[in-house]
Amino acid sequence: MDIVANVMLGFQVALQPANLFFCFMGVLIGTLVGVLPGLGPVAAMSLLLPTTFHLSPVSAVIMLSGIYYGAMYGGSTTSILVNIPGEAASVITCLDGYQMARKGRAGAALGIAAFGSFIAGTLSILGLMLLAPMLADVALKFGPPEYFSLMLLGLVIVTFLAGSSMPKALLMAAFGLFLGLIGMDIMTATPRFTFDIYFLMDGVGLVPVVMGLFGISEVLLNLESKLEREVFETKIKGLLPNRQDWRDSAWPIARGSVIGFFLGILPGGGAVISSFVSYGVEKKLSADPEKFGTGVIAGVAGPEAANNAAAGGAFIPLLTLGIPANAVMAMLLGALTIYGMQPGPMLIKEHPDLFWGVVTSMYIGNIMLLVLNLPLIGVWVKILKIPYEYLFPLILLFCLIGAFSLNNSVGEIGLMLFFGGVGYLMKKFDYEAAPLVLAMVLGPMMENALRQSLIMANGSAAIFVTRPISLAVVVLVLALLILPMLPWVKKKREVIAEIVE
Amino acid sequence: MKNNDQRSSLIWLLIGLAIAFFSRKYNLGTASSPGPGFLPFVSGAAMACLALVVFIQQIPKKKDTLKSLWANKRWLAVPIVMASLVVYAILLSTLGFILDTFLLTAFLLRVMEPLGWGKVLAGATGATLGSYAVFHLWLEAQLPAGFLGF
Repeated sequence: MDIVANVMLGFQVALQPANLFFCFMGVLIGTLVGVLPGLGPVAAMSLLLPTTFHLSPVSAVIMLSGIYYGAMYGGSTTSILVNIPGEAASVITCLDGYQMARKGRAGAALGIAAFGSFIAGTLSILGLMLLAPMLADVALKFGPPEYFSLMLLGLVIVTFLAGSSMPKALLMAAFGLFLGLIGMDIMTATPRFTFDIYFLMDGVGLVPVVMGLFGISEVLLNLESKLEREVFETKIKGLLPNRQDWRDSAWPIARGSVIGFFLGILPGGGAVISSFVSYGVEKKLSADPEKFGTGVIAGVAGPEAANNAAAGGAFIPLLTLGIPANAVMAMLLGALTIYGMQPGPMLIKEHPDLFWGVVTSMYIGNIMLLVLNLPLIGVWVKILKIPYEYLFPLILLFCLIGAFSLNNSVGEIGLMLFFGGVGYLMKKFDYEAAPLVLAMVLGPMMENALRQSLIMANGSAAIFVTRPISLAVVVLVLALLILPMLPWVKKKREVIAEIVE
Repeated sequence: MKNNDQRSSLIWLLIGLAIAFFSRKYNLGTASSPGPGFLPFVSGAAMACLALVVFIQQIPKKKDTLKSLWANKRWLAVPIVMASLVVYAILLSTLGFILDTFLLTAFLLRVMEPLGWGKVLAGATGATLGSYAVFHLWLEAQLPAGFLGF
């Protein structure tokens, strides 16, 4: 079997001492940012990206991925103990997790969240191993028109799934597209919107924008609203869920894994949405749904499994098509390009050590997370108790150093601060940053695909609808744009938006 | 003007129009062979149209004021912190990393939740030396030295 040999290769790579170390660093930092409110995985990855430049690409991607799925673990800890989600994907865990903690069952809640995450993480890695190479083979047949339509579809799905207002999310995507196009035009060497500022020639850097939108702005929001955090004072005992707990959570974990994995493949907030869907499904299937919200273990197990499985699924579009599914994957895409690798259907064949090494490292990382999160839970609780007055200068300082060390240029700091201010206002006025970041990364890729398609077709835009795969995707794009205007869909979306709030 | 979505959409409308307008400076090309200005023009135009949609959608919605966004907030915190970060960036290459960072962290520790001076000095020293050790000595980031030579 091919796959066995590949997995062996993967373990050979992942078990090298250096890679084990970076995997550990990744999940450690991931858990940390998951625990700390106001610093998510996207900001953390952009912070650490400059420091990975002198690592081997495999080690760097192993570490950056570790931050992502590690944050999914850490986020649940704060949801359960403090009723404040460490990051968006654990919002729903607050509902029953915190109630369990108040009833003295914090240990079981933390335990099932960790085990559920572990099981789901493992299952989704298996899915990734099986599905990604197959999809990559299919993707080899795609030409520029298919890529253009797919990227368009990705953007539209992100805005379709975005919180409340689709026009607002599309507006952000259009703005992101524009930002992505700033700088030298590759085909004609025309500098666009650079205002004669030298460092804009290479384009607006993704890292300072992301640090501003997700790091600085988050700190500003926390500062103005005086974060009150009260860690639930209780002895955390019995981290191992009992037999009844397992009976109650086995199916929710299994269902959550499947839901998470497949929703994770879709562009846009896979982890967040899948946790909500999983909670909804468990509530619907439950014999007594009215008990949800009072500390039901299924309400913790399902969503926690789902958000971790989604973290695995989200790698599929990036590693097979080269199209990032969310802001985190956009960061990874940026990283891979910096290391001189072109994500896409050829990635698995050309860099098998990267693909299989990273995937198997995720498995090892999941085991490390289990150890980090269960026996060491006390350490994380202590970190939770650090007052924000001490934390925020450090977070800001890391952002400043991170931005500066990209190019040793104060200009990057200026760019980051500018987008920090923009991001702050965007959050105030309820605009989402994720479509912006995704569109910014896709912008230059879309422009290339568009031009190549038109050259292929001698200038006829009909090429997007005469090739069957592209046509199907275009139809889907139109459907997603029109659907929200239909009355019953509109109502459903409003209901979902209310639940999310 | 009725509500905040409408206020913000007007700003986006202006930005979109400006982008579309200035894109014309670069060659737009034709739909069959787009020039460097083509996609920027499309994105700017799309922004303007979407901003209009947001504005119109909000017409039947209820009123609110700009002030409501900052109700019960320490609204001064944001401009103060932002200003301190900008000053930090401007002074970075003159003062050097160590001095500039020390001043910034001391200011931030003191200004939001006034801690005692002892704690402020200890915190700022620790943050400065700690970050210098991690980023400069360990990760080999090139941090500016400034006029004092460190």
